Amino acid sequence: MALRLVVQDLNVRAKSGRVILSVPTLEIAPGEAVVIKGPSGAGKSTLLHALAGLLERVDGAVNWGQRNLNQMPGAARTEFRRKTLGIVFQDHLLFDELDAFGNASLPSAFAPRRDRVNIRMQAADMLDRLNLTGQFRQSVTTQSGGERQRVAVARALAHNPQVLLADEPTASLGREAANALIDDLLRMTHDDGRTMIAVSHDAVFQDAAPRVIEMRDGRIVTETQNA
Amino acid sequence: MHDGVSGLWSRLSVLEQDIATLFLLVLPAILLGIFLQRGYATGPLTWGLIRRYSRVCVTFVALIAVSVALGTGLISQERALRSGTASAAAPFDLIVAAPGSEMTAMLAAVYLQPARVRLVDGTIYDRVARHESVTLAAPIAFGDSFEGRPVVGTTTAFVDHLSGGLAEGRAFRRIDEAIAGARAKIDIGAAFAPAHGHGDAAVDGAHGDFTYTVVGRMSETGSPWDTAILVPVESVWEIHGLANGHGPDWGGRLGPPFEPTAFPGTPAIIVTADSLAAIYSLRSEFSTDTTMAFLPGAVLARLHALLGDVREVMSIMAIVTQGLVAVAVLAGLMILSRLVSRQLALLAALGAPNRFVLAVIWGTSATLILTGALLGMGLGVWAADIIGRIVSTRTDIDVSATLGWSEVHLVAGFASTTILFALVPALFITRREIVDDLRS
Repeated sequence: MALRLVVQDLNVRAKSGRVILSVPTLEIAPGEAVVIKGPSGAGKSTLLHALAGLLERVDGAVNWGQRNLNQMPGAARTEFRRKTLGIVFQDHLLFDELDAFGNASLPSAFAPRRDRVNIRMQAADMLDRLNLTGQFRQSVTTQSGGERQRVAVARALAHNPQVLLADEPTASLGREAANALIDDLLRMTHDDGRTMIAVSHDAVFQDAAPRVIEMRDGRIVTETQNA
Repeated sequence: MHDGVSGLWSRLSVLEQDIATLFLLVLPAILLGIFLQRGYATGPLTWGLIRRYSRVCVTFVALIAVSVALGTGLISQERALRSGTASAAAPFDLIVAAPGSEMTAMLAAVYLQPARVRLVDGTIYDRVARHESVTLAAPIAFGDSFEGRPVVGTTTAFVDHLSGGLAEGRAFRRIDEAIAGARAKIDIGAAFAPAHGHGDAAVDGAHGDFTYTVVGRMSETGSPWDTAILVPVESVWEIHGLANGHGPDWGGRLGPPFEPTAFPGTPAIIVTADSLAAIYSLRSEFSTDTTMAFLPGAVLARLHALLGDVREVMSIMAIVTQGLVAVAVLAGLMILSRLVSRQLALLAALGAPNRFVLAVIWGTSATLILTGALLGMGLGVWAADIIGRIVSTRTDIDVSATLGWSEVHLVAGFASTTILFALVPALFITRREIVDDLRS
């Protein structure tokens, strides 16, 4: 069962003390797929990072279910991410030294021993579902941008997280590859009952997502429900 | 408590103490490794980082290896030199010579270094030789050489004592027979004419048509005597126009007893006695106004004690060098950590605990340090062996460097300490803000 997100009075400050993100309230239901859009510098990625508990200098509450991420100590936040969140970064951020399967199953390296086999099996399953069968042992340095991004998605989902956070997942892809990945992301979140929050400039992704949040200058300005 | 520990320690054998010291030296690094790596599979990432920055890593390993090799090589070489000189002096229990420098007399008698020393006369030799506890009193006579190899006059009893028996052939029985040292490069059966003097000052043909024939070869002694040619002491005296040590009725039987009035003198009498106590007693007895008696082992011990101070200095220099390299390597690791800070931030973002990130960085550092230390130890022994061969060739003293516990302890201490300090760059990197590094 996915978690409900309730954000209240969230303020993120830069090192200078300036407020760079202010979200008085935001609710995302369990299993919902949401795309955050807005111009560059609107605070989309900052919001995503705040929802993942990756930022310092944060006020307010980011409640995932009953737990407020901002009141957890650092180690607990890290553990929360390990257990609950899957994150896809804009430019893949893969380990070039590892092959596709090594990257996809990376979370097994620091997971409890009892979870390792499951993570590896799930990573293999995800690579299959993302049409990367036969590329398990291929070096990620020789893969195309689309393939690398799908490896990153497989890694984010290998530990079967309740929430998927994705930052511009289609940014570096050609149209065809981007469309395929959008279908995959929406299908996987829907099929597995997972919450997905994706930041994207991609109009196709924005049109395909059931709910779209628009940001500007560090604030949420509009929300749209697609039919 | 302290007494209990020291009591337990003193009950251990030397080998057990060495092993225990090694264990104690590496224990902190092992415990830290177990603490950091427990429950994680860091191997692929650690190996991946090393492969990605292979050139930098090879440089680190080489730096560590060279600094460790310097320390290991110096210490093992110094020990080999001590052990080689001591073993060369081992057959020389006591030397009786004319008063003067013990060191000069020892260098001449034991290590066959040409020196101007006063001679001991026949009366003194006779007193030594007739002493009830003396089992061997050998005169020696220097002055000649053959193609750079010293020709030393002595007795067959001394040859037996020095080499513990011949490797081949037989002892000299006639005044014109000779025994070659184990590495003297002259064949049995070969005849040679001795030159007067040594090295550049040697004069060929100075002794007329007189020639020796080699009839035997000594076993290896590991001392300069291995390259010498040993001849009857009587022949050296005779061809230098001196009395031959025997009276007019001499029937030609070589060796003692010698007639004191016909004894031309010897730079040193090499003495063995029936007990260690007798050697000390003889030393007292012949330490007089007219004679100097000394144990080469004791003189060498004083020399080694002096060298020991040099060794301390060398050890400190080795440690300082290694310390500097360790600091350089740790600074390098700090920079390397910055290079991979994005990957490390990614791990943290994916939910890897701090200890895992520490374990990856520290594991990488520890692998480099350990590889460098082990390579350096091998390199040091190899270099010491090469230097030992060169020293052996130049001095004719068997200097064979082997890996000893002191080098193992030095390397273990260095590696263990550096591996502990490798935690510092790792800690440094885990204290950075994740998002800053993700965006870098």
